[in-house]
Amino acid sequence: MRDTIDPFMTTAIKPPSPWYLNPYFHLGLNCVLMAASELLLKVGATEQSGIAAPEWLKGTGLTTLGSWWTVGGIAVYILAFVNWLYVLRWIALNLAYLVTSSVQVLIALGAWMLLGEQISLLRWGGIALITVGIVFSAQSSAHAEEKL
Amino acid sequence: MTALAVVLVLISQLAQVGGQILLKHGMSLVGKPSRRTGPILWGLGGGIALLTAWFGLWMGLLQKLDLSLLYPFTGLSPVLMVLAAGVFLRERADWRTWLGVSLITAGTVIVAFSVPAGSP
Repeated sequence: MRDTIDPFMTTAIKPPSPWYLNPYFHLGLNCVLMAASELLLKVGATEQSGIAAPEWLKGTGLTTLGSWWTVGGIAVYILAFVNWLYVLRWIALNLAYLVTSSVQVLIALGAWMLLGEQISLLRWGGIALITVGIVFSAQSSAHAEEKL
Repeated sequence: MTALAVVLVLISQLAQVGGQILLKHGMSLVGKPSRRTGPILWGLGGGIALLTAWFGLWMGLLQKLDLSLLYPFTGLSPVLMVLAAGVFLRERADWRTWLGVSLITAGTVIVAFSVPAGSP
């Protein structure tokens, strides 16, 4: 008897078993990488804001490429992108979106603890509302992303 | 936040979402039977141009403003996605989505006003 063929191979293949290939581990890793990338870009941008360059050129953001922090931030961003493609191979987009909403909180925590930014109670409240909002709209924004 | 900063952040978010959609459109046409390269090049070229504009604008904003002030604005991208789906695909959002969109919008307005008077 012939096995039924699943053209999209969604049910036939099980995710790899070693922990470092576990899709959920990579989903968590993606959140950390996204946060790390933004923090590195922020350090790179700040470092280059003091250099001598015409104001219009600084406004384009191009001068920030002169910092290794920025280059590192871009490298981590690309790594996060590859990692995201791996996550999407195993995990549905809406669930992945749901979990990555935590990046909002991770970045605020990083900016506060590592960069020493002063975050008022009002700003924490706004960030909390946005995070909950992303959780509620994850389903349909994932759907829109797939269709658009 | 100054009005100019808010406008620039909104433009950078529009450029990012628009760039991603264009890039995806271009890539989805690659390998299709029709041999026309024009739409592919417009999609990929336009996508890369918009994402470059987004990156430059974003880095320029990061030079001046706190990350904890700017990053929350990226929460608007699901809102833009849902709006784009409504406009281009004529899709109606359910109540959960509207609740999410309202929360994100309210949160973003609060964050934008969360700067003490006198600072940038």
